[in-house]
Amino acid sequence: MPILAEDRRSAVKEIVCDILELEEDEVTDTSLFIDDHGADSLRAIEILASLEKEFGITIDQSELAQMVNLEAVYKVVAEAPAR
Amino acid sequence: MSSVRPGGVTGNRRVVLTGFGVISSIGIGAEEFTESLRAGRSGASPISLFDVEGFAHVNGCEVKGFDPEQWISRTPVRELGRASRFAVAAAVMALRDAGLDPADLAGRRGLISVGTTDGESYELDRLVAAELADGPERMDPQIVRRVSAARLSTAIAHELDLTDVEAPTIATACSAGNYAIGYGFDAVSSGEAEYALCGGADAMCRKTFTGFYRLGTIAPEVCQPFDVDRKGILTGEGAGLLVLESLESALARGARIYAEVLGYGLNCDAFHQVAPKGDSVAQCMSLALANAGVKPAEVDLISAHGTGTKANDITEAAAIRSVFGADTPRTISLKSMLGHTMGAASALGAIACGLAITHRFIPPTINHRRTDPECEIDCVPNQAVDADLRVVQNNGLAFGGNNAIVILGRYDRDGDIG
Repeated sequence: MPILAEDRRSAVKEIVCDILELEEDEVTDTSLFIDDHGADSLRAIEILASLEKEFGITIDQSELAQMVNLEAVYKVVAEAPAR
Repeated sequence: MSSVRPGGVTGNRRVVLTGFGVISSIGIGAEEFTESLRAGRSGASPISLFDVEGFAHVNGCEVKGFDPEQWISRTPVRELGRASRFAVAAAVMALRDAGLDPADLAGRRGLISVGTTDGESYELDRLVAAELADGPERMDPQIVRRVSAARLSTAIAHELDLTDVEAPTIATACSAGNYAIGYGFDAVSSGEAEYALCGGADAMCRKTFTGFYRLGTIAPEVCQPFDVDRKGILTGEGAGLLVLESLESALARGARIYAEVLGYGLNCDAFHQVAPKGDSVAQCMSLALANAGVKPAEVDLISAHGTGTKANDITEAAAIRSVFGADTPRTISLKSMLGHTMGAASALGAIACGLAITHRFIPPTINHRRTDPECEIDCVPNQAVDADLRVVQNNGLAFGGNNAIVILGRYDRDGDIG
């Protein structure tokens, strides 16, 4: 399984925190966007769109269901094909 | 305008539909539209109105072969945005269809109301493109003057030279056409207006296409409402304008009556930005039926909102079942043919319902293979059927839980309805 480089992980975290309007120390790798941070499906789409733009990758819409916390997002980004 | 509330006591005057103006991807004018509804034509084709490079799926339902100058004579067409051109042309068409001359209306108090989702966002797209390419100083001032959504209604008043009118544009998105018709119904039934020109208009735009695409709701090829393999919407455009007048006025001038407006219902749950809420959709149907004085078992056909998304179709079908139970009438989606014409959708839906009543047929839900078991309705797949329709329900559901439902009934010359 591909592992996401550290600099990319921090860029992902920055994007997620920016969209969910959170401080970086409020989020852990396993805290849940929806249950713990009050996110909803539209925020999830915003995260997906920003990641695609930032990294020049394509994330299938069906991955949204998996993208529940940072750990899961790192995995999805690592596995996403470049455009 | 009116103190009459949905579900309350309705005004004294009966209100009928006597003229239709249609601009759609499957026909311009009521006659062409009727033929296409009966034949089950699809308005889908690759989008040509804006750049779709980089998108994997690029179909939409564009209006083609529309010459605004065929309808618009008093207003320089260059002053009007694409949606206003549709709205104004459809209004002129509706009056002609009703056999009314604008001069006949000049001395009478009226209402002009057009519903919309995007207003003139097609024009805004062009301004943003110019700004990004060449800077804000290069934005075309002619286009800037087109962008106010209020012009969808006021431009109609200007073109028809009608001054004793209220002319609001109603911006309740994808149910806005029904909102406008409901407003017209109240105005005419209460006697506050002698006539109403109501409906909806929208032009396709890149902003909306891209937004829906990003939500994952754009279908790759075609729109398949209620099908187990449905994949979403196609964006569409057009306008539907209806002439509402009192039954007395229509009879006095010997007008053709397509249908009677029996009532309507509105509610807004503000539950979620994009997800429909089943309970509130069901409640809106009950409000509309109560306002119309109609029992669920008396409804012969429902024209559903039926977008072709997973979320809408299951929620809407379940809401219909909860209200109608074993008496659930046939339930079709015009969006299978027209795509999602946004603010025009429920206005074109109301016109299609009126035409179905008049010409005694049910338009089909096309592109249909197998009905989703979670949508327990007969969607009249692929082939129109002949039917004697007395009461028809037209659903409009919008983002934010803005629901609006209109009930139409056949008007028979002997005065017997329902």
